[in-house]
Amino acid sequence: MTVFTIEDVRKTFTNGEVTEEILKGVNLSLKEGEVTALVGASGSGKSTLLTIAAGLQPASDGQILFEGTNLTEMNAEQVRKIRANKFGFVFQFAHLVPFLTVEEQLMLMLDVAGTKMKKREQKKEIDEILSLVDMGHRKKAYPSSLSGGEKQRIAIARAIIHKPKVLFADEPTASLDSKRSKDVMALIRELTKTLNITTLLVTHDEEMLAYADRIIKMSDGQVA
Amino acid sequence: MNIAWKEMKKNKARFLILGSIVFLVSLLTLIISGLANGLSQDNAALIKDLPDGQFYMTKDSDQTYTLSKIDSNTQDKVLDKEKDAAAFSIQMGFVNDSADKQQSVVFVTSTESELFENVKKGEIVLDNSMKDKGIKVGDVLTNNQYSGEFTVKGFVDQKKFSHAPVAFINMEDYKEMYRTNEMQMLFVPGEDSPQAIDGLQAFSKKEFLDTIPSYSAEQMSLNMIVWFLVVISGMLFAIFFYMMNVQKIGLYGILKAIGVKTSALFKMMWTQMLFITVIALSLSIALSQVFNKFAPEGMPFHLTPDTTVKLSIVFLIIGFIGATLSGMQIKKVEPLQAIQQGEV
Ligand SMILES: Nc1ncnc2c1ncn2[C@@H]1O[C@H](COP(=O)(O)OP(=O)(O)OP(=O)(O)O)[C@@H](O)[C@H]1O
Ligand SMILES: [Mg+2]
Repeated sequence: MTVFTIEDVRKTFTNGEVTEEILKGVNLSLKEGEVTALVGASGSGKSTLLTIAAGLQPASDGQILFEGTNLTEMNAEQVRKIRANKFGFVFQFAHLVPFLTVEEQLMLMLDVAGTKMKKREQKKEIDEILSLVDMGHRKKAYPSSLSGGEKQRIAIARAIIHKPKVLFADEPTASLDSKRSKDVMALIRELTKTLNITTLLVTHDEEMLAYADRIIKMSDGQVA
Repeated sequence: MNIAWKEMKKNKARFLILGSIVFLVSLLTLIISGLANGLSQDNAALIKDLPDGQFYMTKDSDQTYTLSKIDSNTQDKVLDKEKDAAAFSIQMGFVNDSADKQQSVVFVTSTESELFENVKKGEIVLDNSMKDKGIKVGDVLTNNQYSGEFTVKGFVDQKKFSHAPVAFINMEDYKEMYRTNEMQMLFVPGEDSPQAIDGLQAFSKKEFLDTIPSYSAEQMSLNMIVWFLVVISGMLFAIFFYMMNVQKIGLYGILKAIGVKTSALFKMMWTQMLFITVIALSLSIALSQVFNKFAPEGMPFHLTPDTTVKLSIVFLIIGFIGATLSGMQIKKVEPLQAIQQGEV
């Protein structure tokens, strides 16, 4: 079932006198329980498309349809709410909050998403997610004491703990070695299936495409 | 979950540094304003500690109390009508102690009144600071303009004028010493608005203090010092809060990206600022009060609760404004910026 549709999205950047169209009318629909991989040359606009879809920057034109609403017509607060409740993100770097323990990172996300859970339920939820990403033993650790792969797994846990409908990942394995990359991709795929999430991810690594259900190629601001 | 608190707990050193800046700067301001206030007390405690009311001197004295001479008819009329009023005079002078050492004092005399020390002929009541000069109750003091001798009857606290200790003497003795029959001024306590009295000009307490040239000039410099300090401290606060916020731009971006509200980020910053400022201020107030108690004798230091509260409120407001102004960056942070900036 299609849950997320990108229709004729355009993005132009203006640098002084020069106006450049980076996205030239992109159409894309994403299905529930599927991992869609975006590939393409550097500078082709993959990250731009992903961040626009995720509501992290506005489109210049076009529509982004999700659950019967159009993201491009919402105000900042409405977009923030959707981001907090329905979306999860993983980026090249984990971007964890440096002063929170692993457990607290996830608790913050639950708070932000506005899930009405008792402390005990929260803890149970966190334990479950942490065992999913195989990090249950580092609950009390601060990010500075985690390895790159461990941080990325926590970032994934944070991206899914509030049971988002859509997961966006921009080169989630770029900072990891080949073995760790495979683990992380396998994890993303597994979560997509078990939690029935809609996943859109960008990757440069051919090896990682094995974990995608669908591969979309981008070139020069358009999807092939 | 309280992220403001979690951050302070994890980054103790950073917040400790910020707190100590606030502590040191506010302590400095409190101490300096205590000293300034002390100097001002030292210059005019005699007048400042009188209740609010109206001072009168003659119109032709040109606002100089030493030149004012209240005519005795007028004086009697006013004193008859106003039971609490007093006529009084102030003159710089000297007394010689038993070792014939000259001590400068300010002679003050008045009609019978609760507002001033009333002493019998031949007696003298001195400001406490004269004790440090080795003068005791019962000592005999002399003055070259006075035929008799003064016996020290006692001491009073905090009666200073023009940085000299006050010496209360009897009106008869005063009249003999200064060869005059008139008092310089009338004081009517509790009066908000002056009454029109023939030939006299009225002054509020503040206006009267301002007629004393040494006092008003000194006061202006002291106030200037304190307010400059306050303004500079305010800027220092703002700069330090700003620097802390700049370091945290990446963090704010991440928090925004995962959906934390901007208002929640402001709340986080305000909580931290308030926490730090309140603790730092409490410490500096405590320390300045200790200093108030144990300030060395002879060092004019006077820090009233009034001034302390006023300065604390000013600091809280300044801290708040500083934090909020520097926090405007929070509003501007784009979540995307943080994400594209790489590892934090
Ligand atoms: N804020 C911006 N202002 C101006 N130009 C931008 C901005 N963001 C992106 N671009 C430009 O848009 C183009 C596409 O960038 P984007 O980051 O989407 O590429 P990408 O496909 O993700 O590349 P990579 O594989 O290297 O990450 C680039 O030429 C980039 O310079
Ligand atoms: Mg990119």
